[in-house]
Amino acid sequence: MHKDISQSIHKLDAHARMQGKAQYVGDIDIKGMLHAITLRSPIAKGIIKAIHYPPLPSGYTIIDYRDIPGKNFVKMIFEDWKIFAEDTVEHIGEPIALIVGEDKRVLYDIHDKIICDIQPLEPLFSYQKSVIDYQFTKGNPDPVFKQAKKIIKETYETGYQEQAYIEPQGFIGYPETAEKVTLIGSVQCLYYVKNAVVSALDTHPDNVRVIQAAVGGAFGGKEEYPSLIACQLAIAIRKTQKPIKLIFEREEDMSVTTKRHPSKTTMEAAIDADNNIVGIRAKVALDGGAYIGLSGVVLSRALIAVTNAYTIKHLAVSGDVFKTNTVPNGAFRGFGAPQMIFAIEMFMHHLAKQLNQDPYSFRMQYLAKQGDQTSTSGLFRDPIIMPKMIQKATEMAQFHDKVKAYKTMPNRGIGMSYFLHGCGFTGSGESTHINAQVKLRKDDHDHVYILVAAVDMGQGAKTTLIKIVSHTLEIPIEQVHFDYPDTDDVPDSGPTVASRTAMIVGGLVNQAALEMKSLWQSKTPLEVIKRYKQPEWIVWDEKTFQGDAYPAYSWGVNIVEVEVSPITYQVNIIGIWSVYDVGKALDETIVLGQADGGTAQGVAYGYLEVMVHEQGQLKQKNMTDYIIPTAVDMAPTQTHLYDNPFALGPYGAKGAGELTLVGGAPAVAMAIEMAIKKPIKKIPATPEYIMELMHDDDH
Amino acid sequence: MVKHLIPNTLNEALEALSKHPYQIIGGGTDAMIQYRNHSDLSPRFKAHVMYIMNLKALQGISSNDAAIIIQSMTPLETLNSHALVPPLLRKVILEMASPALRYVATLAGNIVNASPAGDALVPLYLWDTEVVLQSHQNSRKIRLSECITGPKKTGIRADELLTQIIIPKHDESGHYYQKVGGRRADAIAKISFAGTYKINNNTLTDIRMAFGAVSATIVRQRDIENMIIGLNINDLSTKIEQLQAAYAPYIQPIDDQRSNRVYRKQVALNLIADFINHIIKEASRP
Repeated sequence: MHKDISQSIHKLDAHARMQGKAQYVGDIDIKGMLHAITLRSPIAKGIIKAIHYPPLPSGYTIIDYRDIPGKNFVKMIFEDWKIFAEDTVEHIGEPIALIVGEDKRVLYDIHDKIICDIQPLEPLFSYQKSVIDYQFTKGNPDPVFKQAKKIIKETYETGYQEQAYIEPQGFIGYPETAEKVTLIGSVQCLYYVKNAVVSALDTHPDNVRVIQAAVGGAFGGKEEYPSLIACQLAIAIRKTQKPIKLIFEREEDMSVTTKRHPSKTTMEAAIDADNNIVGIRAKVALDGGAYIGLSGVVLSRALIAVTNAYTIKHLAVSGDVFKTNTVPNGAFRGFGAPQMIFAIEMFMHHLAKQLNQDPYSFRMQYLAKQGDQTSTSGLFRDPIIMPKMIQKATEMAQFHDKVKAYKTMPNRGIGMSYFLHGCGFTGSGESTHINAQVKLRKDDHDHVYILVAAVDMGQGAKTTLIKIVSHTLEIPIEQVHFDYPDTDDVPDSGPTVASRTAMIVGGLVNQAALEMKSLWQSKTPLEVIKRYKQPEWIVWDEKTFQGDAYPAYSWGVNIVEVEVSPITYQVNIIGIWSVYDVGKALDETIVLGQADGGTAQGVAYGYLEVMVHEQGQLKQKNMTDYIIPTAVDMAPTQTHLYDNPFALGPYGAKGAGELTLVGGAPAVAMAIEMAIKKPIKKIPATPEYIMELMHDDDH
Repeated sequence: MVKHLIPNTLNEALEALSKHPYQIIGGGTDAMIQYRNHSDLSPRFKAHVMYIMNLKALQGISSNDAAIIIQSMTPLETLNSHALVPPLLRKVILEMASPALRYVATLAGNIVNASPAGDALVPLYLWDTEVVLQSHQNSRKIRLSECITGPKKTGIRADELLTQIIIPKHDESGHYYQKVGGRRADAIAKISFAGTYKINNNTLTDIRMAFGAVSATIVRQRDIENMIIGLNINDLSTKIEQLQAAYAPYIQPIDDQRSNRVYRKQVALNLIADFINHIIKEASRP
């Protein structure tokens, strides 16, 4: 015992997963089970005139909006996302009905005979129809811009990103009683699913039970989307009173599930006579797709990240979510921050160049310091160790020598991003919306069970939470258990999102363990419950975006080195160096795993991963066409972690899951920019885009 | 009902083919994707299926004075480690698909699939490769470039099996290969290019170039190659633009989910220049 908690142990679910013993939804069969497939809209926008179904063989059922006992929307934030299309369709692939029955061949046969009589309407694909708009200011931006010596303006664009989890979306469910429905699924947020199903069935919460299966990756893709198909399946189970399985095909999954929001951000800087930035104005546009879903919350996080790791005194920030007739966009690791951090990092870099200053020393001047005001006029309370982190990263990468060398060497470049990520829910979300609760149960053999709704989707939550309890109670790892959560058994500790599991849930679990330790009586059963209490110094006004948006921040530095081929315009990643402050790593190997995976996903977002739609139809439908990096594409990574413990985190831990993704894109974009000597204002910086930029010379 | 046949001998296979058309499965790495069904359901074959991967007669690599003969069911991974196989072809195979796939995929499969982006086709076109098409009573040998008639189209008759790939022995001073995919491994080519050349006493005595994924089939133009054969190495650099202009009409790529025509065309032209510059550089080595 008493060893440093960061010291790694074997990931506790690794063996089961590697041996194929982990039970994913697809592995679960129930006797007498039916299958469900989905009838979807073939067009981007239209009015449903009629759906003509063929005569159904006995035992086959159609489930559509008419079967919904409750209201026809997926309970999230707004009442806008329909469970089944009713009068209109708003995007290609929108679910119209489930076809349910025993034999999949018959289901597809029925599916192919259905005639959808839908009157097409003109779909909308451009940023015209705002469905959410937020704005806030810091300081006094108007006079600053009026008095500015110079105003510099740039626009930045980002594309879609697909979560590309290995395991597609799916649920299996069964009627536990005539009233009660049980759903087993690949999810991040058991209680989101439960609450949505309770609303769809218009039933008592006791009548809905959600159990987590092994999850084969999620990355935000299993935050809100599973609620939609869980509602559909629960309605079908209610109607048929049979067990039913609904598993997406890979191509279906890629075509209809939520993606990262494409964005367009206009940044303006007010520059004074001494070439200082005195104020920034930012206007963000997110493509929300057909339904709002979580887009408003994504927009909030994007807007709050406006100054990233910098302090700027005067800000005017605004943003919109635009409705388009495309697949609804939603949660994805980073949650709006990657778009904004790309924009602000590139903008700071471009400002320096336009002001004839060295970008790195220019950017350093504006780095946030402890005691500074955040973008929302809150306070950076805790120590910020970015200068030390930057120093370390530049040494590891031999950054400054390379910057010098590549000024004259063609086709080579290196870039460095600075970034932060707010840990936990934005604003007062933790106390007003989530109000997390955790339970620890000890049995009469002194085995301790962690009862939380947190999901291990590969990120290591199981190992990390067990380590906390084992460490605090000073009992062996083998004596602590964390089984797949079941809403009949675990309290609502909140969703597995927002880099909150280690810090918030882990923090509560640790408090519960401390209390259990103080009450410990050997061979006596004991239960301890802990509920989240917002520290009273955190004050947040949701309406005006003023105050402390997050209880804590994790920080990072990414350096990416590239070579760009002047023949094929392809980018070859040569090296990636990173330094992170996640407070305290609860398991070093797990955090380094997050670092490697997050950086790969973030860097690839910047140069490799392409997804586009044509008239509302996504063109990349499978893992052949949607290119994510292989081991050959990734360069060796070197990552350093600094301890900077956060008083309220368990053992000082802050969030680590999203931080490692958000800085990848600007770092690789800056490297490419150096290699081709042209500013990058759009990601992904594909060879096709790089060619366009390089050929600008000819004109 | 689809009938599945696993013949024990080549003769049995050919006899069956003489009576009925079959969907032939070799490694199956393309066919099983093309005929894939929804999960849990068997593939959607449109004809009877014949599996020929275990036919002994179709395994192996041999050579004679004039050519290397590859039996059609020899897996790519076997070719990859075989001394008789030209280094350029091995280089191409190394960038094809994933290692697991290369243990079952075959060169013949790449040919009969006739994709404009078929990786192995590009070097095979350079060498004027021939294929042997065997039926129960007959056998014919035709040029690969005649066998492939369009995207996903070949002149192979329903009663024929592709049994051999004959690569004429080729004397080269060096070769050049570039596969431009969406990433560095396990990707379908946006464009690919292969070239070989022969230099004698500072004279270019042979040059060959082939382009993949820029047209309905692989592009190779002997008439354009002839434009510079016989030139002194020192005069090559002045011919680059002329070569690019000559190839331009043949490079007619498409826009798709992987890339666009402007990029494909520009890179194809760049690769011509890079290949010529590569020859000049190699020739100037002491």
